[in-house]
Amino acid sequence: MKKTAIFFLTAIFLVFSAIGCKKKDEESSTINETGNPISITHWYWADNSEYSAKMQEIVNDFNEENQQNIKVTAEEYPWDGGGYSETLFTAAMGGGGPDTAAWKLTSTPLFIANNLLAVLDGYIDNWQDKDDIESSLYDVMREASGTDSIYVMPWNTQVLYVYYRPSMFKEANVAVPETYEQFLEACRKLTRDTDNNGTTDVYGFGMRGAKGGQEPWGSFIWARGGDFSDFTTPQAVSGMQDFINLYKNKYVPPTAPTDGFNEIIANFKSGRTAMTIHHIGSSSGMVETFGDDVDAFPFPAGVKQWTSMGDTENVMFEACDNKDAAFEWLAYLATGKGQEKWCITTGNVPVSKRVQAMPEFQENKFMKVSIQGAPHAGIFPILDTTTEWINTIWPNTVAAALAGQKTAAQAMQDLQNGLYED
Amino acid sequence: MGKEKAYKRILFLFLPLILILLFLIFPFYWTFVTSIKPETELYGKSVTYWPRDVTFQAYRSLFIDYNFIKPMKNSFIVAMSTTALTLFVATLAAYAFSRYRFRGRRAFMILFLTNNMFPTVLLLIPLYAIMRRLGILYTPLALILSYTTFTIPFSVWLLNGYLSDMPMSLEEAAMVDGANRAQAFIRIILPVLVPCLVATGVYIFMTSWNEYTFAVMFTNERSRTIPVSLKNLIGQLGVQWDLLTAGGIITIIPVCVMFFFAQRRLVEGLTAGAVKG
Repeated sequence: MKKTAIFFLTAIFLVFSAIGCKKKDEESSTINETGNPISITHWYWADNSEYSAKMQEIVNDFNEENQQNIKVTAEEYPWDGGGYSETLFTAAMGGGGPDTAAWKLTSTPLFIANNLLAVLDGYIDNWQDKDDIESSLYDVMREASGTDSIYVMPWNTQVLYVYYRPSMFKEANVAVPETYEQFLEACRKLTRDTDNNGTTDVYGFGMRGAKGGQEPWGSFIWARGGDFSDFTTPQAVSGMQDFINLYKNKYVPPTAPTDGFNEIIANFKSGRTAMTIHHIGSSSGMVETFGDDVDAFPFPAGVKQWTSMGDTENVMFEACDNKDAAFEWLAYLATGKGQEKWCITTGNVPVSKRVQAMPEFQENKFMKVSIQGAPHAGIFPILDTTTEWINTIWPNTVAAALAGQKTAAQAMQDLQNGLYED
Repeated sequence: MGKEKAYKRILFLFLPLILILLFLIFPFYWTFVTSIKPETELYGKSVTYWPRDVTFQAYRSLFIDYNFIKPMKNSFIVAMSTTALTLFVATLAAYAFSRYRFRGRRAFMILFLTNNMFPTVLLLIPLYAIMRRLGILYTPLALILSYTTFTIPFSVWLLNGYLSDMPMSLEEAAMVDGANRAQAFIRIILPVLVPCLVATGVYIFMTSWNEYTFAVMFTNERSRTIPVSLKNLIGQLGVQWDLLTAGGIITIIPVCVMFFFAQRRLVEGLTAGAVKG
């Protein structure tokens, strides 16, 4: 009996060892065989299967076209509500991250603090396409790192603007707002009881009160003359009061405090809201649903004008063995055919000036609005506290303010403390 | 009187049962209905509880364009192997804990329990580094081994409970009849233990079938399992509800089938009448 038990244990051990060793051999073969293609592993997330297929197509094109025998393997990872960056961090800290990866600026300080990212200044200075990207974008990349160096390679941006339904504007006799006051007035006029049954069935504005809502919210703060350096100024508080009033006056759905991206888009697509704020990334879905009955305008100027710049970049990891090859790949995505193909498919705003000038982008109404809004587009301060502030402090504070548990001034004081605490 | 009793039964027994059943089944029903709705209806202004135009396009896309068979195969390999390995190790360990009295027995049992007290994310980076060093990262083996780190301790405790309740006289009777300890275990204890093994096996299978945190770290495109593949359908800017719900329906089918068979084994009650006066 003992022999049988030992036999079984040994058999199981051998089977598992065999599986492990086999896979190990397969993996190590791409790294160890010198003279063979230079392997670069790239991680990215995709919003749908069309984007996944496009990324694989870009990778195949690059692998065929590049003269340096570089072979990129692109691995898709779930976005997971931002959990992508945590997955990337765990892998990099565990010593097994990719060579390059798609990126969000907000993660930059954490990765730099742990010496995980490669500095790109030297590569960018010697890059022939350097001037094809606006210098202001490089400044944003520097600002995000909190240093004078660039760790992040621009890829594409998304500028927030206001989506609206022209048919609803016509029914409610509302013109496209050109000022902030007109925008607030439009929110009121577009809130209607269309079937006269005593309940509102179209709300003027689709407010995002859950995580991520700080981006459209920021436009209200700036429109009253505030900014993000101090949330407690009378101007910033006044912007917050406007935000609260929209909810209090029921110009936004009652679910607004918990509405995230999916809810505001679903509400807009179902005709429950007449306007909502998002960027060009959702335009193809909007056109698919409404055809011509959807348009956009930049968030109008009040005392000041600001809109949020969504960003997607790429980074190179410090642990990458073939940094020159990795930069070739990042450059292909930033200004090469990778930029063209990705931006045409996703509808994102290209960072390459050459690509921006292409007819595909010049003739797109959503792209035009994005480009109009670009000069006023910015990001939130990237501090150690930003992630916590975005994920927890902002949604909780705004939910309390909308519920009437905090005044606008109290809420802004809490937001100030949360972001700028020592 | 009889009528009144019947009404009471309907009011206090059947009606609450039907309500609870509806509450439990509705999410599954809604998932299924969403998976067979065309996109125009999915985002339509009015809510439809049964689609006006039934379409199985989502299922077709899931298997043809999205290649969902691959993650299903990977999930099966991982879940089945984890179940087999865990049951093998846990059964032997639980038997030893319940039948032998040795120094450090209690300490070992508590040690097993403390393992489950650590949050999984805490083990993530060390396990990732270990798997990488072993060269098994991004293979099913990495997932199987990491899943066993938390399924084995729990299973040992579960089986130990069953075994401790089982009378020693069962094996003693077999040993009086000439069987040695191993034979008594295989021929007498194991058959009686089958329902408990099935119950434990179902727990292990489901845990490894649905696990996401380790799966996203220890797999890549080749070895993705179902939870990660489904999560890929939830993008930053949009959710592919049709594919996601179709995937959800496909995912629960094997679990339902398994429960169907497991349930039969669980109610057999093999221990009933095992010890004759």
